[in-house]
Amino acid sequence: MELAWYALLGLFFAVYLVLGGYDYGVGLLLARDTDPARRRAALNAVGPFFLGNEVWLVAAVGILFGAFPVLEGELLSGFYPAVLCALTGVVLVTAGVQLRSRPAGQRARTRWDRIVVVGSALAALGWGAVLAGLLQGVPLRADGHVAGVTHLFTPFVAAAALAVAALVALHGATFLTLRLPAADAAPVGRLAARLVPVALTTVGAATALGLLSADVRAAAQQPLVAVLLLSLLVTALLTARAAVARRRPGLAFAATCAALALPVALVGATIWPYALVSTVDPGASLTVADAAASTPTLRLLGWLTLPLLPALLGFQAMCWWVFRGRTDGRAPVYW
Amino acid sequence: MDTLLLARLQFATTTSIHFLFVAVTLGLVTLLVYLQTAWVITNKPVYERLTRFWGQLYVINYVLGIATGIVMEFQFGLNWSGLSRYVGNVFGAPLAIETLVAFFLESTFLGMWIFGWHRLRRGVHLALLWGVAITAYASAFWIMVANSWLQNPVGYEVRDGVAHLTDFSALLDNPTFRMALGHVVTAALLVGGMLMAAVSAWHLVRRTPDFALHRKGLRIGLVTSAVAISFVQGFGFAQFFAIGDVQPTKFGDDPAAAPLIADWTARFGPGDYTPPALANVGLGFMILIGFTLGLLWLMLPLLWRDWVIRLRVPLWILQFALPLPFVALILGWIAREVGRQPWAAYGLLPVEQAVSPVSPWLMLTSLIGFSLLLGTLAVTNWVLLARHAARGAHDPALGRQPDQPPADPHPEPAFA
Ligand code: HDD
Ligand code: HEM
Ligand code: HEM
Repeated sequence: MELAWYALLGLFFAVYLVLGGYDYGVGLLLARDTDPARRRAALNAVGPFFLGNEVWLVAAVGILFGAFPVLEGELLSGFYPAVLCALTGVVLVTAGVQLRSRPAGQRARTRWDRIVVVGSALAALGWGAVLAGLLQGVPLRADGHVAGVTHLFTPFVAAAALAVAALVALHGATFLTLRLPAADAAPVGRLAARLVPVALTTVGAATALGLLSADVRAAAQQPLVAVLLLSLLVTALLTARAAVARRRPGLAFAATCAALALPVALVGATIWPYALVSTVDPGASLTVADAAASTPTLRLLGWLTLPLLPALLGFQAMCWWVFRGRTDGRAPVYW
Repeated sequence: MDTLLLARLQFATTTSIHFLFVAVTLGLVTLLVYLQTAWVITNKPVYERLTRFWGQLYVINYVLGIATGIVMEFQFGLNWSGLSRYVGNVFGAPLAIETLVAFFLESTFLGMWIFGWHRLRRGVHLALLWGVAITAYASAFWIMVANSWLQNPVGYEVRDGVAHLTDFSALLDNPTFRMALGHVVTAALLVGGMLMAAVSAWHLVRRTPDFALHRKGLRIGLVTSAVAISFVQGFGFAQFFAIGDVQPTKFGDDPAAAPLIADWTARFGPGDYTPPALANVGLGFMILIGFTLGLLWLMLPLLWRDWVIRLRVPLWILQFALPLPFVALILGWIAREVGRQPWAAYGLLPVEQAVSPVSPWLMLTSLIGFSLLLGTLAVTNWVLLARHAARGAHDPALGRQPDQPPADPHPEPAFA
């Protein structure tokens, strides 16, 4: 039962990174293009999906609180600076995207756009740091609390945060290649092709630093799975590169989706059966089973979510279906 | 510096900002459902224009509800890790249900509603708004279940120092829940109604061209707030019965308080088990505001032959009264939450065990950071709301035809 909930938690967070990831990717790419019309077109390509994307995060934290209360407290407070960074980013993007077009003046819009860029960067870096921190283990003491937050400031965490930011930017580019009117999509496609090597380099750097870090090596309970998932990640990036070159935007987008979901699977599977690995006292490590809520709570949540899940997915799918395809002159413009 | 105090301040700041916005969300969405349904049924253009105008204000307001809501959700884990550790098995359940049952669908529906004008069939588009409203009420329901449990923990047993869920239905039967939910929901309706009445009154005083439209807004807003305030008063007084039964320390001079405090002293050690004086200060003011707003009923007869508008004075009163319900909202919450001190969960978990063991400097950074961030966003949002309200129903961006360029935002007044 705990495993099912752990998988569901991972699923929600991974889907958030995939869907929210292209919001942030599009946000990051605003920095490159100063033309107001193109900026607006990029944001309205995300348009109808934007609100439905970030709720995956809200729901993931809800599951974390309901099904893994102990983990919730230690995870969030133990990674305080990283979570703060991600949260600030999420708030800035949420407000920036929705409010940028409310003032009519171009100057005010440009200022909001800068906020969206900064927010997107903070969100991507912050979530990258949280994932890396999990893989690196935390100074969890025998009393069950994480000591301090300085454990986060290592080269591995920094490199992994950058890698996630690069993945997110690439993902935003493949999304726009798929969504924008065909004429505008071509330049974004070329950009995507140039972003793949950047993503590969940063992922490579994070891997190298991870291998050099004694903490990461010690925390990895399932090194084989880690190698397997990492090679899948690299394959996904190479696939994206090839698909962009062959003008197959759908495949390229699918590949970058996988590239953003895989890090979550990698972290979750590598430290299994633990949810938090302690770097100071191996006995203090928190297993997934210990982190979970007690059986009556899980059963109650299960009875409620099981019938609900199809409805949640159904309405999201409805949103994708209704607004599928490339945007054109007839698409509503609101952001 | 004290981590606990900083964490409490941060919670109080962020929830207060959150609530100022979500109360408007809950109130306005109810009125929007009425407006859009009326449009679909009667096909009258005035309802379409009202829906777009008020829908635009609603959507702008919604942004801060989300932004602050997300911060609040994370705050439980960041600052109150003891809460999840000791009572998470019980308290976490309604919160998890809330996110899955309510927010998830609410935001999905809202995104489709905003971008669905001219694209979806009218009935589907209307159904989406109904979906948004129903899920908004569901979120208020579940968050109040969670909050009421902190006020009066029920349906649990403590094993190995941790609370475990034994009876979920007890959470829904909680005496601190029902009347509070009614009070909160009707207060939100009051806020929405007064906002609509006040904005319409502003336009009527200024004689903007849209007389018929703002007249309608004024009437709907006024009737809604008058009906709502009576329910607010009813549910408000009804709450005192529940409080007297389960929280004798809350409002002082209750004979049941002394034995309870003696019991706590025996179990948790000596300490100050009475809430700070601040808790009771606001309560009286809120009730005063509640009675004052009851006078809204006096304006209803003036709807006859538009005397409210012709006399002018009522229009000015409505505009000046607008801050009152917002002040009452915050005062009410301070009474409820500060009155529960020093407990995070009443009689079960003291606040100092609930707070995360992080360094005070980190807590201070996050307090200052989030207060500045959310405070700035809140002020910006109100400015945007005021500007859009003042611009009138001329040509809101919401629901504009995709191929139509924005119209001139500054129409001439009809008669100056
Ligand atoms: C428009 C806002 C508004 C107005 C006019 C009133 N209230 Fe209120 N009140 C609230 C908005 C509110 C609130 C913000 O919604 C609270 C906070 C928690 C809650 O359940 O509702 C609240 C709390 C609250 C509490 C504390 C409950 C607790 O501690 O558990 C009491 C006893 C009352 N109210 C009673 C009243 C009475 C007798 C009123 C007038 C005759 C009144 N309120 C008017
Ligand atoms: C009585 C108190 C509360 C009420 C009535 C309430 C109601 C609402 C409503 C109606 C929304 C919808 C979105 C919006 O209006 O912008 C919302 C958003 C939100 N609230 Fe609250 N809330 C309350 C307190 C809290 C608390 C204490 C939390 C912390 C757990 C919280 C977490 C959230 C979150 C995470 C969102 C964003 C959801 C989204 O993305 O749509 N709320 N709240
Ligand atoms: C939305 C309106 C709300 C407002 C304005 C509000 C206000 C406050 C205030 C003023 C405090 C600080 C009290 C003090 O320590 O002196 C506080 C604490 C707290 N409130 Fe609320 N509250 C609201 C809703 C809620 C809800 C719905 C929940 C539960 C889900 C909640 C949970 C908490 C918690 C966990 C704390 C910190 C622990 C404590 O100090 O007791 N609040 N709130």
